[in-house]
Amino acid sequence: MLIKCPHCGTRPVEEFAFLGDAKPKRPTSNDPATMDQWFDYVYLRDNPKGRFDEYVHHAGGCRSWLVVTRDTATHEVFATVTAREWAQRP
Amino acid sequence: MPDRVSPLAGSAVQGRFGADKGAPGVKLSVRHPASIVAIIARQGKSQALKLTLDRMQGCAIQWAGADQYYAVADGLREGELYSELKSRLNVLAAVSDQSHGRVILRISGPNARNVLAKGTPVDLHPDEFPAGKSAVTQMAHVGVHLTRASEDAFELSVFRGFAENFWEWLTEQSEEFGYQVT
Amino acid sequence: MTSFRLAKGGLIDRATELSFRFDGKGFTGHPGDTLASALISNGVHLMGRSFKYHRPRGVISAGSSEPNALVELREGGRKEANTRATVVELYDGLVARSQNRWPSLDFDIGAINALASSMFVAGFYYKTFMWPKSFWEKIYEPLIRRAAGLGHASREPDPDKYEKSYAHCDLLVIGSGPTGLMAAVAAARGGARVILADEGAALGGSLLNENEEIGGVSGLTWAQGIIAELGSLPNVTLMPRTTVFGWYDGNIFGAVERVNDHVLEPSLYEPRQRYWRIIARRAVLAAGAEERPIAFGGNDVPGVMLASAMRTFANRYGAASGKSIAVFTNNDSGYRTARDMTAHGVRVEVIIDSRADAKADAGGVPVLRGRKIVNVKGGKGVAGVELDDHTHVPCDTLAMSGGWSPIVNLACHQGAKPRWDAAIAGFVPPDVGPAFTAAGSAAGKMLLSECLADGAAKGALDGKLPQVATCRDEAFAITPLWWVRESTGKAFVDYQNDVTPKDMPLAAREGYSDIELVKRYTTAGMATDQGKLGNVNAIAILAEATGKTIEQVSTTTFRPYYTPVSFGAFTGPFTGHHFQPVRKTPLHEWADEEGAVFVESGLWMRSSWFPREGEDWLAAATREVITARERVAICDVSTLGKIDVQGADAGAFLDRLYCNTFSTLAIGKARYGLMLREDGIVFDDGTTSRLAEDHYLMTTTTANAARVMSHMEFCHQALWPDLDVQYISVTEQWAQMAVAGPRSRATLQKIVDGIELDDATFPYLAAKELTVLGGIPARLFRISFSGEHAYELAVPADYGSMAARAIMQAGSEFGIAPYGVEALSIMRVEKGHVAGSELNGTTTAADLGLGKMMSAKKDYIGRMMAQREGLTDENRQCVVGILPVDKSDRLRAGSHLLKRNDPPSMANDQGYVTATAWSPALDRWVGLALLANGRRRHGEIVKIFDGLRNIHMYGEICEPMHYDRENLKLHA
Repeated sequence: MLIKCPHCGTRPVEEFAFLGDAKPKRPTSNDPATMDQWFDYVYLRDNPKGRFDEYVHHAGGCRSWLVVTRDTATHEVFATVTAREWAQRP
Repeated sequence: MPDRVSPLAGSAVQGRFGADKGAPGVKLSVRHPASIVAIIARQGKSQALKLTLDRMQGCAIQWAGADQYYAVADGLREGELYSELKSRLNVLAAVSDQSHGRVILRISGPNARNVLAKGTPVDLHPDEFPAGKSAVTQMAHVGVHLTRASEDAFELSVFRGFAENFWEWLTEQSEEFGYQVT
Repeated sequence: MTSFRLAKGGLIDRATELSFRFDGKGFTGHPGDTLASALISNGVHLMGRSFKYHRPRGVISAGSSEPNALVELREGGRKEANTRATVVELYDGLVARSQNRWPSLDFDIGAINALASSMFVAGFYYKTFMWPKSFWEKIYEPLIRRAAGLGHASREPDPDKYEKSYAHCDLLVIGSGPTGLMAAVAAARGGARVILADEGAALGGSLLNENEEIGGVSGLTWAQGIIAELGSLPNVTLMPRTTVFGWYDGNIFGAVERVNDHVLEPSLYEPRQRYWRIIARRAVLAAGAEERPIAFGGNDVPGVMLASAMRTFANRYGAASGKSIAVFTNNDSGYRTARDMTAHGVRVEVIIDSRADAKADAGGVPVLRGRKIVNVKGGKGVAGVELDDHTHVPCDTLAMSGGWSPIVNLACHQGAKPRWDAAIAGFVPPDVGPAFTAAGSAAGKMLLSECLADGAAKGALDGKLPQVATCRDEAFAITPLWWVRESTGKAFVDYQNDVTPKDMPLAAREGYSDIELVKRYTTAGMATDQGKLGNVNAIAILAEATGKTIEQVSTTTFRPYYTPVSFGAFTGPFTGHHFQPVRKTPLHEWADEEGAVFVESGLWMRSSWFPREGEDWLAAATREVITARERVAICDVSTLGKIDVQGADAGAFLDRLYCNTFSTLAIGKARYGLMLREDGIVFDDGTTSRLAEDHYLMTTTTANAARVMSHMEFCHQALWPDLDVQYISVTEQWAQMAVAGPRSRATLQKIVDGIELDDATFPYLAAKELTVLGGIPARLFRISFSGEHAYELAVPADYGSMAARAIMQAGSEFGIAPYGVEALSIMRVEKGHVAGSELNGTTTAADLGLGKMMSAKKDYIGRMMAQREGLTDENRQCVVGILPVDKSDRLRAGSHLLKRNDPPSMANDQGYVTATAWSPALDRWVGLALLANGRRRHGEIVKIFDGLRNIHMYGEICEPMHYDRENLKLHA
């Protein structure tokens, strides 16, 4: 599998480390009432067949965290953005 | 000041090794002692830093990742490049002395590209990876900062602790072409 | 021995003679031969025994699909089992042995299985060895294991080198026959970067084997012209002896290049094989087509072979398979063999064509149309054939052709199924998109002119079609015949696994009608040839048996590897001490001088202890501890992760990473920090110092250095990208040494430049940049893991060993000694400091007795989840000290703790001993443990149970710190 790192260009999957679902957003409140949100953030993950946004670390390259959108069934990669850009999504 | 001791002082012995097929296919050397300083852009200063580095004199600037560079020079005093860049770039970038933490190996010759292809998935065709370009990659399970110096010359910068092991791998991969250590 | 070498012809060097041995017997052949062609030219057809019935078997094919002629090639550590004699290039001194026979190939005891063949039907193993259950382990399994298996692997290490390499191209062409050559030249003339790979030693594919005419010259001459052109182009890489074995995501192809399999021993500097990962923008599958056998009685008698193989042996190797030949075919291509063999002067008795309406040109050979072979006479060689009209045809060799199967394998490696093409009676590759297209006979094109044109079209990446030479076409027509129902002898569909046409209907009757189940039930298509020859027949016979079409039955899943790949190629150079990279500290040279015994710690080599004359590890470590506690000692701590953190928000960033606070740390001071995971469990710990307002230096544990770095990168880039913070590993930049003991201050005072190391200028937890030894930049920290008055000194790595030697010299008057990680570990257990065995991925800050470090004033990673009920439960296991009640007892790490009177059981488990040490100061074994509700149980006597050694003893629970509980020595 090849992933196009926005900084390094196309590299094979061996250079990357996968963390998992990039959808959950870290809650900002420390209010005990938000514990359910935290639980969801830390533990609950979707495992879809098909399109999936995933945190990927270019650990064997420029060490940027990326979000790779790919099809979990066909491994087709649709898009790659930096985690920085992803964090600033609406 | 005492002299710096290269981690390859005992390994990188000068001479001609490997297959004898006429002229050596590969030449290897250790760029030591070198001054190496990592430069990382401060928040929001990427463009300003890039413009400043484009005009930088006295050291080579090599791209090393998002908003990150290495400045490399030879023949300077201990900590000199670091101090100078720290004062010159402080507003734009954090700098960190890596002169002792990394070891730069030079590989050149007609088979240099073939040797490197045994390690890195980066396409080293001159159209894709021209002279002056750098990449961060892995070779033989070791992180390598790779720079093309010219058509058939490259620099490989690795963490000091891996240098000896990496040198062994590199020389073994060069054996079939015959190599000269200078 | 009669020679079966033809008087002339073939691509062999007749002037050179090569000697080789097969089953101990000497033979000769020529350069250009394969082992199979050399044996055939010596009249040897019997090359192996079949897997199940041990039937004598000869060579069936002339290439990589060979199921029968499997040999053990070479000897000693170079021995390679299950190697196809048809692809082994002959070299002088080659040694091969046949397999799966005992005591000899000619007389094999195992052949008795054949007498009981009615028992050995499909599913035999499943049915027979089911009961009684107790027989399985002791009787059935050893029996099966002895009988099973083909060749035997060597038990000696392989002395040869293997390599890995990457390649990139605009177009990868797989196969160098007429199609592949046209595709390669079309792309190359347009300037594209082309790789042309072929499994053969010579490029040219079928043009090496067949009589063709292209552009008014022989096919071979035409091919040589194209190959010469390709070889002259700088943008083309020719890769003969290279099998492309797999197609992977991203259009990456796996290939293995047999660099030196064709010589007796590789040269000292070259690998035997090279494993390639080829990253191709586009690729063309021009792998050609494979001829199929027909299943009829006796179709496995040595001397029965594929028609294309027979003419390949004659045309390419000048080897006649026999002196009196019959051909059995269901399609036109069988006639080529009759014509070619006749041209070579070999007598062809008859063509038996199952088609009543066959019209192909027999070149004067008599044709029996509408006839089938029901049996082949003979055991270890052909004595003649019997037809369905009870007539008998004498012959000593039989060529068969059941039609052609395009080699679709690679195109199906990502899951797509091939499509059935009734016109050619074969499966053709699926459409898998423009990046990988099949061309020529691999795509079902059966005429040479079609192949040339298709190759040109698929290879012309720029759309500019090269001129395609005219050629002579061989007409192709086929009427499928999968098996001869009327067979009187045993017929085989899958040679390698002895699968017969009756096995498919049997499997269907027993409920295994899906092709994937039939494969596993009958073993059709398994083992080294993966059904290259037999699968299509098996599918067709199953279709008949189940009333389905061939399309409906479809194929089993095609997976890499196309042909077997050696383990050596997969491992490449990463064996022995290159198995993983070795990482040495800057103090390695110094430690080595001091006689260190090194231990692998992750990738690092760390000095473990420094034995003196007569000392074992415990004696050495004990002496090192005493030296550190009473005098002064020095230890290499360079492996601890060091991360330089800078920027206006550096303090804020550290506050979010650690559960305690760093933004309040004074400049020039160090503080112990504890980092949690987001789930509230402790992640890592270490000391962080503040060097300037916006400049910190973090340290991590050795084990977690890389993980902490990745975690920081994630937190910064993905969670808080707005923070103005920059960080980089400086682990390798600094050689760091701990100098510990009552005389550490006096020792270091002698090497620091212009600073008094008294408590006023350099108090506990001071962290300063200074110089040592007359100007070497350094960082000095007054921190202690040993519990002694101690420092850590860092100097740039290239000065490390020199500085360590200087410290040894400075401390010599105080009796300084080096200490290693064993002594370090003893001292940390004595002091109750937690380390890896307590930071084990299950403990919270409170479990470690560090709950008070968790700030309530800020958000940080792990803060919220650490508050969950389960993580704050009083009964959680927490760190305690433990002492054996009997002072002479030895504590063992891993022992479980139980209430004093409870018997050992999972239900009674209270915790376990995490770390132990023999304390020289306390003259006894001391330990740390994780114990349920441990903090409230100090003073309790518990049972200690070591299940591995079956030791029961008693221990007293105490606070974790065993030694110098007032920390008097730390502050001395």
